[in-house]
Amino acid sequence: MKTKSRLLSVVVPFVAVIVAFGIGCIIIAALGSSPAQAIQYLIIGAFGSASNIATTLVKATPLIFTGLCACFAYRCGVFNLGGEGQFVVGACVSVWVGVTWGFTGFAAILTCLLLGALAGGIWGAIPGILKITRGLNEIIVSIMLNYVAILFMGLLYTSLLREGSVPQTPAVPEATQLPRIFSDIRITWGVVIALTVAIVIHYFLFNTSGGFRLRAVGLNRTASRFNGFAVNKYTLASFIVSGGIAGLGGSVELLGTQYRLMSGFGQGFGFDGVAIALIAQLNPLATVFIAYFFAVLRTGATTMQVGTGVPTSVIDIIQAMVIVFAVAGFALVRMPQIRQYISNRASKKEAV
Amino acid sequence: MDFASEMILSTIRMATPILLVALAELYSERAGLVNIGLDGIMTFGALAGFMICYLTGDPYLGIMAGAFGGVLINMIYAFCTITLRAEQIVYGMAINIFAPAVAAFIYRVYFGVSSTLAQGTLMAPLAIPLLKDIPFIGKILFNQTPMVYFAYLMVVFTAVFFSKTKAGLNYKAVGEFPRAAETLGINVIRQKYIAAIICGAMAGIGGAYLTTCYVNTYSDGIVAGRGFIALSAVIFGRWSSSGVLLACLLFGFFDALQLNLQVMNNSTPYQLFQMIPYLCTLVALSVFGIRRAGPKSSGKPYYREER
Repeated sequence: MKTKSRLLSVVVPFVAVIVAFGIGCIIIAALGSSPAQAIQYLIIGAFGSASNIATTLVKATPLIFTGLCACFAYRCGVFNLGGEGQFVVGACVSVWVGVTWGFTGFAAILTCLLLGALAGGIWGAIPGILKITRGLNEIIVSIMLNYVAILFMGLLYTSLLREGSVPQTPAVPEATQLPRIFSDIRITWGVVIALTVAIVIHYFLFNTSGGFRLRAVGLNRTASRFNGFAVNKYTLASFIVSGGIAGLGGSVELLGTQYRLMSGFGQGFGFDGVAIALIAQLNPLATVFIAYFFAVLRTGATTMQVGTGVPTSVIDIIQAMVIVFAVAGFALVRMPQIRQYISNRASKKEAV
Repeated sequence: MDFASEMILSTIRMATPILLVALAELYSERAGLVNIGLDGIMTFGALAGFMICYLTGDPYLGIMAGAFGGVLINMIYAFCTITLRAEQIVYGMAINIFAPAVAAFIYRVYFGVSSTLAQGTLMAPLAIPLLKDIPFIGKILFNQTPMVYFAYLMVVFTAVFFSKTKAGLNYKAVGEFPRAAETLGINVIRQKYIAAIICGAMAGIGGAYLTTCYVNTYSDGIVAGRGFIALSAVIFGRWSSSGVLLACLLFGFFDALQLNLQVMNNSTPYQLFQMIPYLCTLVALSVFGIRRAGPKSSGKPYYREER
């Protein structure tokens, strides 16, 4: 039975992707382009050359962080929709440290990353504290804080840390940027940090007693409380860690890819992270995989737009359809009638 | 016009979209459906309203298109949460990702990526005869767009409907205790679908208000979290229509304050003022706290055949 539910958890997202692509192809055809050609460009764009593969990995990195952020909090039964705000706050702190503290090099990188993660953690702690002490809905609090964080970032690049006439902050000095793994390809150590975080989170959730308790709290708060688990402590901790992951992601994106803040930094990464975590069914390693898949779509989309004239927003729709179909699919296979049907077929097979 | 009346006027104007959407959520939650996809529905409603208004030049058709678009999007949510029993919060989130993506795509395909903004028509205010001549309040309350009157009439209607009519009490029963409602012969599933239709239409109208009565253009992110502010208004207003009205006026006031401060202080960075509505919402919610007062079965899926 266990292997079957495992199988279904892979089959459902896979079918969702195929259906979403099918509809995407219909839309592309309706726009007067050839779907086959569009997909061909999409694949070339994402995998066509070493530099394209590198771009895909670079685009996947922030999504891995925000995906893990959503995944970790939801494992503890709380919805952290504030990934974008925490991501942005982490980047804000990093740019402030990197540009104004006046030291560069490895120590500066380390300081930026740690303070970025800390800032994200503090930003993430606010909805947790308000939920525990005042009973506020964490969804509303974390969303409101997203807007505050984005406006604060705007304050940085339009006035406080503005450089020249363009509304943007100065870039962090080259010595404070994340070094590349191979000197001639764009991939930085940021990817490695993202993967390490994913593995650590996975190990913590599934191989330690703390992770077990955290998941137990997520599955049933009342039962956990009667078992003597410190429910509030785990809830708050999950918010802090989840915010910290997003904040670290913001730092990595700033030091490794963007180097400076400007309008649109981090836009949509929070909600994308939630989508990724849900499709990955809250499994940290699957989250990495889905984040990579989303990045493939994005890099490919640019090439597709240049090659065929199909706008990149088609890809946004396909992505959105994947989440809509995947969540519906998971609900569908959990329905009693469908379950019955599946187990009937399985037992028939066994009888034969 | 002096500062005080300008503030009241813009408070009412800013509160209207939040009020429409908060009432949408109220209808949804009263039937046990927590819908956090309001932002998404509003975005789609805003686009549908703008497109039709732009094409026909009639803002009223735009509002109707917004309502229709909202229902269309919310039917996806309804089917998945009522029939497939997907988790409501998760699916609301999916709608929040899906609807803006579709709206952005339609806008981009239709208008291209040109730099000139397409402009629709704004709805003209409709002065109510006699009442508009009352000194001071006449100008503020009775010289608004018809959508403002509609929103406030809906508050009154909702209050009467849920407390005084049999249909309203049946409706509420679905959100409180669906099993008991079912044994009394209320069709719970049908009632939930009706609730989703009302919610979609109202939230769509709230979105369309933004592009037909407030500004005459559409841009990504035009909703700016108003769906979530409406969600807080429902909680803050303790699930009663008069409470929701007060909460919306409060949040509308923050929005109006922010706008007026921006106009008055050119030297201060505008972002500081734009933070006001979000921060004040948080402060208001945390000061008053949340006593669990909502419908008891809100957020739970309903299994007709379960015992």
